[in-house]
Amino acid sequence: MNRIGRKSPLLLVSALACLMGMGAAAQAADDLKIALIAPVSGPMARQGDLMRKGAELAIQDINAAGGIKALGGAKLSLLVEDAGDKVETAKNAAQRLVANRQGVVAGTGSWSSSLTLAVTEVTERAALPWVTLSYADQITDRGFKYVVQTVPVASQLALNAMPTVLEMAQTASGKKPTKVAIISDSTAASQAFVQPLRDGGFQKLGVQVVADEVFTPPLNDATSMVQKLRATRPDFLLFYSTGFPDAKLVLNKMNEFGLGKGKLPTVTVGVQFASPEMLKAVGPELLEGLILVAPNWPSKTQEAALPSLTSRSGEPWLGQDTISTYGDVMLIKDALERAGSADGDKVMQALRTTDRKDGPADFYLGDRLAFDDKGRRVGGAVGLIQWQSGLPYLIWPKEDAVKTPLWPKS
Amino acid sequence: MTDMLPGLETVLQTLATGLLVGCTYGLMCVALGLIFGIMRLINFAQGDFLMLGMYFALAILSGLGLGTSIGSLPALLLAALASIPAFFLLGWVLHSLLLARIAQRRGATEGEAHQTQLIMTLGISLVLSNGALMAFGSTPVSLNTPLASQAFVLDPLGGGDVLVFLNEARVLAAVAALIAAGGLYALLHRTDLGRRLRASADNPLAATYMGIDVVWSYRVTFGLGFGLTALAGVMVATYYPFQPYVGLDFVIVMYAGVVLGGLGSVMGSFWGGVIIGLVQQLSTLVLPLQLQGTTVFVVFLLILLIRPQGLFGRSVERA
Repeated sequence: MNRIGRKSPLLLVSALACLMGMGAAAQAADDLKIALIAPVSGPMARQGDLMRKGAELAIQDINAAGGIKALGGAKLSLLVEDAGDKVETAKNAAQRLVANRQGVVAGTGSWSSSLTLAVTEVTERAALPWVTLSYADQITDRGFKYVVQTVPVASQLALNAMPTVLEMAQTASGKKPTKVAIISDSTAASQAFVQPLRDGGFQKLGVQVVADEVFTPPLNDATSMVQKLRATRPDFLLFYSTGFPDAKLVLNKMNEFGLGKGKLPTVTVGVQFASPEMLKAVGPELLEGLILVAPNWPSKTQEAALPSLTSRSGEPWLGQDTISTYGDVMLIKDALERAGSADGDKVMQALRTTDRKDGPADFYLGDRLAFDDKGRRVGGAVGLIQWQSGLPYLIWPKEDAVKTPLWPKS
Repeated sequence: MTDMLPGLETVLQTLATGLLVGCTYGLMCVALGLIFGIMRLINFAQGDFLMLGMYFALAILSGLGLGTSIGSLPALLLAALASIPAFFLLGWVLHSLLLARIAQRRGATEGEAHQTQLIMTLGISLVLSNGALMAFGSTPVSLNTPLASQAFVLDPLGGGDVLVFLNEARVLAAVAALIAAGGLYALLHRTDLGRRLRASADNPLAATYMGIDVVWSYRVTFGLGFGLTALAGVMVATYYPFQPYVGLDFVIVMYAGVVLGGLGSVMGSFWGGVIIGLVQQLSTLVLPLQLQGTTVFVVFLLILLIRPQGLFGRSVERA
């Protein structure tokens, strides 16, 4: 008796463990996992965090609305892997993901194009459908079948950015700008953007380059560059700086020389210029009027959903990283519904044949969400964002814009 | 003539900026030059001292909220005045706890002592920059005073055709640099303390025989050097965004300035810094901006070729 008595708790425990195991297995069968590989540690951790918020919000909304209806109301859950800040760490994250792939139907990530290139090398071999907001051309130049890019690629962005700016300026001021000054740092990203414009790009658009200054970061003083702006009097400035201390020095100096606050319209590239960190570090006065070129930004189509999304995210405003990742998860959900299956090939087929003007398309700029043979976005548009009264608003494309562009009339 | 005017304006503007930038460099160089000139110590932590000064200014203006309660200019002056004694004390403690101890190992020659101190400053540098990274994070911050984006506008010809903008933050920094460097000169050449410091530099052994506590002199020097670097940090922070590794942006300029002015010549270091600032700015008049850094080193190499002892250095070997 005594012996049985000693054994019985053990038996109980093992029975309980069995039951719990069965419960977990049953849950796993119902749950579909969406993977997010993003830098959640290291210098890009903030961007990764913004992406995570977007994915979490989308999954909450999908589950609250009844999950994936085509799959019997299956619920989604998020699996986050840390891409770190290096190609190796991103590749390792992807390998970890495909090794424990159970239940993962598709994924999104990884912010920086170099990380995404590494991640998709792994997901492609594992035939895992991948959606990305990274916009390097190479991502879809490798003949990969399991990846789609939801925003226009870098070359399209560079090609279309300046015509878009000129069109916007003409609409806003009634006069097309004819003289531009360029200030750029000597990093690869800046020069890749500026070089084609310098080599005849602006000329084709009927715009004369009156000053072209390239500096090597870190900048110690911006006087000589801004003095050139004063002397050459361009209609607008194309300013490409990858480092924010350099950007602050130039903006400070422009303000000092009476060219700030939109007096000399300034166009820059990259959503880092529209982040809450930028506002905190540079201050609203210096940012006023600054125009940014970006592939995605919250627009009029999300007007109804945006206040709730913003308050649930805990951010002062939503930017490209959050809204694009929200859209990416919505796009995967849409593909799952259309595929009616969690099978990787079927989901990818559905992703590739996406052609929507509403639903997930609401979370990207442009009139249509579709993909070409390479998996590149079709129907995308270049977004222009402008700081107005201390907040960054989408001012172009006109149909998506939430504010009217400000551009000096004379 | 009208075509000439933007040219004249650009030249005057560049010259003025060069002088303003140069004075701030001068202050940084004078602090490094002081430590090297008197202690013969190559201080690798100089850039990190500068960084600490910048965060000190941030703590006073934003942390304590003095920037908004008493206005940014008074708060800045307070930070500048407080930085020298605060960091003098820190330098004093660092020297007595770390540098002096390893220098006074029994049986170590002067050369060995310098080597170990040099490695020690490298260690201090790593601890300070990584400690700052842990404490303040890697996101660049700035003081956001209105001074950085406002200027005194000069109209040298009258009529408003030629305008020269003098950035208020830079003017303030240059004035502080001139006062501090002038004060240091007076201290070194007009006071008994200065005489003791110089004696310790010229011949430590003879100074010891004359009853001067050389280690104490070194401690004062290290403290003063730290204090002045922190002051430079406070002034630079008014217009330059910073993060824990910001010192690296300036440390090369500091060394170039000190060598240019003449190793060992404290006031020569100041002029070395001024020249670097001027060369850096004036080069943009004729050369592409990207060559700004290169020009500094071309001039630096030229001066070393013509005058190896630097512009104000003495070519005699120290005893």
